[in-house]
Amino acid sequence: MTIPPGWPILGLGLLYIAIAVAVVLALRLLWQRSAKALADKPGMLRPIAIAGGVLAVLAALLPWVTFRFNDGPYPDLATLQFFDEPWGVTGFRLFVLLLGVVAIAAPFLPVPARRVERAIGLGLIALGLVNTIFPLISGGGFGAITAADGAFAFGGVATLVAGWVVATSAKAGPLEPLPHWNPKVPRLLAYAVLVVSYVVLLLVVAWMLDAGTDPDGNTNTYAGPIFLSLLSFLGAALGALHAFGFLGWLTALSERHRVFSIGVLVVCALALPFTDAGTDYWMTIAVNVGVYAATAIGLNIVVGLAGLLDLGYIAFLGIGAYIAANFSGAAASALHVELPFVLVAVIAAIVAGIFGAIVGSPTLRVRGDYLAIVTLAFGEIFRKAAQFNIGGMTGGANAIPNIPPINWFGRDFSAPLTIGSVRLPSGVLYYVLIMVLVALVMVIFANLKNSRIGRAWIAVREDEDAARAMGIKTGQVKILAFLIGAMLAGLAGAVFAHKTSTVAYNSFQFIESVTLLAAVILGGMGSIPGAVLGAALLLVLPEKLRDLQDWRLFFFGLALVVIMRFRPQGLMPDRHRRAELADEGADGVPIEELNVPDAPDGSTAQAVAR
Amino acid sequence: MTATTAPVLAARDVSMVFGGLTALAEVSLELHEGQILGLIGPNGAGKTTFFNCLTGLYTPTKGSVTLRGDRLPSDPARVTVAGVARTFQNIRLFPSMTALENVLVGRHARMTQGPIASLFHGPAYRRGEADARRRSLELLEFVGLRGLDDELARNLPYGDQRRLEIARALATDPAVLLLDEPTAGMNPQETEAARQLIFAIRDTGVAVVVIEHDTKFIFSLCDHVSVLVQGRLLVQGTPEVVRGDPRVIEAYLGKPPEEVEAEVRQYAEEAAHSTGTAGTADPADSAEDLDTEGGSR
Ligand SMILES: Nc1ncnc2c1ncn2[C@@H]1O[C@H](COP(=O)(O)OP(=O)(O)OP(=O)(O)O)[C@@H](O)[C@H]1O
Ligand SMILES: [Mg+2]
Repeated sequence: MTIPPGWPILGLGLLYIAIAVAVVLALRLLWQRSAKALADKPGMLRPIAIAGGVLAVLAALLPWVTFRFNDGPYPDLATLQFFDEPWGVTGFRLFVLLLGVVAIAAPFLPVPARRVERAIGLGLIALGLVNTIFPLISGGGFGAITAADGAFAFGGVATLVAGWVVATSAKAGPLEPLPHWNPKVPRLLAYAVLVVSYVVLLLVVAWMLDAGTDPDGNTNTYAGPIFLSLLSFLGAALGALHAFGFLGWLTALSERHRVFSIGVLVVCALALPFTDAGTDYWMTIAVNVGVYAATAIGLNIVVGLAGLLDLGYIAFLGIGAYIAANFSGAAASALHVELPFVLVAVIAAIVAGIFGAIVGSPTLRVRGDYLAIVTLAFGEIFRKAAQFNIGGMTGGANAIPNIPPINWFGRDFSAPLTIGSVRLPSGVLYYVLIMVLVALVMVIFANLKNSRIGRAWIAVREDEDAARAMGIKTGQVKILAFLIGAMLAGLAGAVFAHKTSTVAYNSFQFIESVTLLAAVILGGMGSIPGAVLGAALLLVLPEKLRDLQDWRLFFFGLALVVIMRFRPQGLMPDRHRRAELADEGADGVPIEELNVPDAPDGSTAQAVAR
Repeated sequence: MTATTAPVLAARDVSMVFGGLTALAEVSLELHEGQILGLIGPNGAGKTTFFNCLTGLYTPTKGSVTLRGDRLPSDPARVTVAGVARTFQNIRLFPSMTALENVLVGRHARMTQGPIASLFHGPAYRRGEADARRRSLELLEFVGLRGLDDELARNLPYGDQRRLEIARALATDPAVLLLDEPTAGMNPQETEAARQLIFAIRDTGVAVVVIEHDTKFIFSLCDHVSVLVQGRLLVQGTPEVVRGDPRVIEAYLGKPPEEVEAEVRQYAEEAAHSTGTAGTADPADSAEDLDTEGGSR
């Protein structure tokens, strides 16, 4: 009797899953036990944090399994290499070293040490996971971590343990309250802080995009782990900055000086092409990020503010794109007219808006899940109509190719640009255009949100009956949300059509709608920077994880699940959502300490207090 | 308080039938300028249903509701615009908006900025917004929530949430305010503050209807009390008439009138005592003293 070929794999897979589940359960138990044991021993913070920090420093100096390019028959596969010169520490090992040092120092500094340790611990765990799992996969399974030539790679495991210990130290005694820095500082100081912070942000973004790129400009095979390591480190650094109140202060400062910060942000964004990330490749991706960000902000009006789930939102981007394609003078277009881009963009927005209002009109009758189904159906109808060229405007399965680039004052937007002696990558003009558009969309969103209309949207989301009892005509208000949201998507679609030069029905699949929704939720519902960050992450991560191949989507999904588990309010939540879903009240007081009534919203509070 | 003037709000023969259940049977009621009208009745009597019929949340099976002679539409938003505001029995604030934002939502119907103005934030827009803010802050202060404008509604203590709901309703500039169990779950001090607040609201020219189970509270607050039992109006009249009516005693109070009267007197005395005002047996007489405190607590 022979075993069918698939069985050993299946058995092995089940074994791995069983091991993983067992490990997770055991760790969970250990975590709960240690948290309980430490709860009333604040004095244990220092010894545990120091032990974890020292272990992290050691881990950085220990041998690691890492990668080296080889010219052998399997250039894509890693060969194992062991560091054995302890002081030549660079890359992720440098991050581990730095975090370890901070973990040791934090309890002796006048900072909320437990919050800092918690951030650092999680960062170390992430670093350890990335740099342990990746060799396991690319280096040929668990075998990779066994001894070779009598040497053994300890670094990864040691970092994981160090991260665990550091995170545990945060459980010794209660978390400190978040320090609240007064945002009422002299105007000049505020401006200086904002400028420096945003410039640093620009440099960090460029650094991240550039991570894993070789000096010759090609993407490194190991860009994925290099990028993820950097991300883990930056996450820990941000967490630590948040811990002593800096991020909250910065947010408050930007809110106080909104116009100024938007200005600085726009200038910084426009400076990106001048950095190391200013390549053709990243410009293309950045334009896509911009298109998705603008669309996600539009969706944010519908989902984040008005609380209406839309599962077919990509259709509005598609409508905008097809409108632009048809007025572009492309040979395959149905209209053969060429209008100026600005006019086309306006038409695209208006048509998309009309469709938005039509799709939104069932909100007068259906609520909640039923509305989501209606929007889902609309998305599919749109895609099918485009595929079969119903209406004759979409080119059907042949798409509408060869859409000419935008041309203003004789300048072709797809050509490279030279300013003085600096040669900027091609597509940079599209980048500038989409950044201006995103800034515009941000202003639109912010203005609407802080207005009578925006408050009405939020009121409808919170309690529709109560909103009606306040004199809000909820039907009109909801349709308006759909209309304006769709207009923004249509606007983005017009840029998209010209940049990609081909508009095809399969750019507007259900998964794209899901991606948009994920960008909104990941970033934080109702939050503008959140939507941009979400869109950026969702488009940049897959690029960076390319070398993970089949594992790419798996890790991507896993990352989303983990983020949503530990940060249900999103990465950069809106103030309201933050209070609703986080363990902190609006002023950073843990919600358990606030006087939260039992009814009728107490249930959420309790669920969060856990 | 004189029944000779035309009523502000008048319900005529309002009936509400759910399936086979008659929740309201031909309820007629008049509310006059400057009046505080109490609506009492056992659980399930139909009090909340009556409010829902008045505010257009339910369309009455039969009957009509008029505000200053004009028939009210069966659409809550338009009823509010017409001038009838309400609070809910189970508090229904917008929990993750701040106290100020909640009241600002109440201003919605009295503001005129459309989407275009909201987009551009021009001078006229800003003036309207500043006015709304000023009025909302005044209202927060009026109900005693001064300084809490930036607090999320969900984080407010229970009593403050009830007060905030009243401020939000007042922000709609109502002619008539309907309060559904405004003191449910409040402690005695808070209840007393609420009573003074309601007097103060009445003194600003808003006619008030209050549903409450606490009969002592109602009898010491209202000029006029209606008793609803099983969807029917059993008795209506001044507190003295109502609490002396044998049918009310049987159906609702379950106590002889003397005992009720004694309780009410004692209650009013305690209340007056606790706020330091000269004790008078009839709290309505001392409303002017009380409301200044209620307004600036
Ligand atoms: N939407 C509805 N559908 C069916 N029955 C309803 C509905 N609303 C109320 N009822 C019924 O109408 C009756 C009156 O209810 P209502 O809530 O008005 O009582 P209530 O006097 O406010 O009582 P409570 O003092 O408990 O608040 C109850 O029997 C209730 O079950
Ligand atoms: Mg009721």
